Amino acid sequence: MAGVTFVHTVRRNWRQILYWGIGIGLLGMYVAIIVQDADILKQYAELAKSFPPALLQMFGMNDVATLATPEGFISFGFYGYTLLVLAVYAVMAGMSVTANEEDDGILDVVLALPIPRWRVVIERFFAYALIAILIVVVAFGGLWVGILSSPLEINTTRMMEGSINMIPSFLLMIAFTMFVGAVARRKATALAAAAIFIVGSYFINFLGASASGSLADTLQAVSFFSYYNSEDVLLNGLNIGNMVLLLGVTAALVVGTVWSFNRRDVGV
Amino acid sequence: MANHNTPVIQTENLSKVYRAGKRDILALSNLTLSVRQGEIFGYLGPNGAGKTTTIRLMLDLIRPTSGSATILGLDARRDSVELHRRVGFLPGELSLWKSLTGQQVIEYVARLRGGVDWKYVQELTERLQFDPTLRVRSYSSGNRRKLGLLLALMNKAELLILDEPTNGLDPLMQQIFNDLMREVRAEGRTVFLSSHILSEVQSICDRVGILRGGRLQAVETVAALRHADFRWVTLHLREAANPHLLAELPGVTDLTVDGSILKLRLRGDFNPLLQALSGHYVVDIKTEEASLEEIFLSYYGNGSNAHKEGEPVKEMA
Repeated sequence: MAGVTFVHTVRRNWRQILYWGIGIGLLGMYVAIIVQDADILKQYAELAKSFPPALLQMFGMNDVATLATPEGFISFGFYGYTLLVLAVYAVMAGMSVTANEEDDGILDVVLALPIPRWRVVIERFFAYALIAILIVVVAFGGLWVGILSSPLEINTTRMMEGSINMIPSFLLMIAFTMFVGAVARRKATALAAAAIFIVGSYFINFLGASASGSLADTLQAVSFFSYYNSEDVLLNGLNIGNMVLLLGVTAALVVGTVWSFNRRDVGV
Repeated sequence: MANHNTPVIQTENLSKVYRAGKRDILALSNLTLSVRQGEIFGYLGPNGAGKTTTIRLMLDLIRPTSGSATILGLDARRDSVELHRRVGFLPGELSLWKSLTGQQVIEYVARLRGGVDWKYVQELTERLQFDPTLRVRSYSSGNRRKLGLLLALMNKAELLILDEPTNGLDPLMQQIFNDLMREVRAEGRTVFLSSHILSEVQSICDRVGILRGGRLQAVETVAALRHADFRWVTLHLREAANPHLLAELPGVTDLTVDGSILKLRLRGDFNPLLQALSGHYVVDIKTEEASLEEIFLSYYGNGSNAHKEGEPVKEMA
């Protein structure tokens, strides 16, 4: 029956929205609260000039001057690495679409029920996508509480855009893990592939940004982190082209998962 | 009424080869099998014979290397969703969501199936003495098996496919399971159950398919299999026994005498043996069921009479 697996998956995992959303929201609130004085931000920016550029780029900071603005500071202290924290959940969710249950043998029970394989994949993916979006919403709630208690004027719309900007990358990480889980069949292989994809993308992005003209710089185009670019979004607003590209790749991975999962043996 | 000539399961040269690295492993070879409506069909074979592979092929969990399976008139591969609506399945090694309660699992499966008779679910819960309020992780293996049986039976499916259904059930529950299967048969529904325990199959099945090394060796009625059945008997007498005492007795073979202890293989009734022992003081009698392999060898010799690939399967029903 349509929607049963979607509802079942959301019902089993709704607590994750609270755990992850509140946890990351508290971090956002803390980062926003400590932005109490514009002069202190300028001092941070001065101090950051002495840091190696690569270190700043690790946290998504390309221009040190932006650190002097509240939005730039929040980008550095929150959006720069929150996506990496969310990657942990993304991998867990992606593995839960088919790989975990295939490994445990639960998938035998599910696939012997009157539900086509494609529907199992699609409904579960959309359930985890909904959970991912709600995690981002709850996390933004925490950041927003912090912004409200800050004496500085912080552009809330930009902050909201920063959170919206996380969603395509978050979904992409779920979809990639789900894809390798469906293709690789082995949980350990899928986990390793997902970790290489995420951590590799992250390193290629910051190494490329800090060493122009290098191989990493050339490879930056294949790193999804370069399309995430939280600093740019907080300063200039959403980049719809980047978001569409990331969502397009996500959709392709979902289709690839369905195709692969439909035509192979399960639980072997 | 059941039409016993209608094939509910029909496989044609169904084969499965698994690839393990560079090696091909033949799990099932040219299985041609017919199961009729309204019968309880036992699928008997030692571990690794290919029983689970057959079941997984029938349910489209794995895809055949060659051949086809038609279940309830539907192609197992093409019409799998419609087929699953009409089949109840219990896997050999049942895994379920550990964090859910039994009731939550039942409700999820019921929603996916649709049209579940909740009064029947309640009746099954009571008969199987199953507590659905606990979380799956806290169930013993026997209770998990009961939950699996409940899930397989709950929608009164036309065909039940049960892989080693009584694994982990205590003798009382095995009796309840046997009663349930007889009821299913009485309603004209069909049961296909796999087992490696001969006595289990003998107690409820109408016919038995014997599988060995991925090849169907024969399809027999249970009565024919009983004929091949024997048991090992160990007699402990008070005094040393005469070696000729039982040697000529019909049904007795492989007699060994060690002082007052006699060990023999007995086919048929006990009475001739007990009569031959009248006059002797019997301290103890121990009996041991023959293993499936022993029965198989007894029936087919060292495989020389067994079904060969390409030959039609011997069917005595």
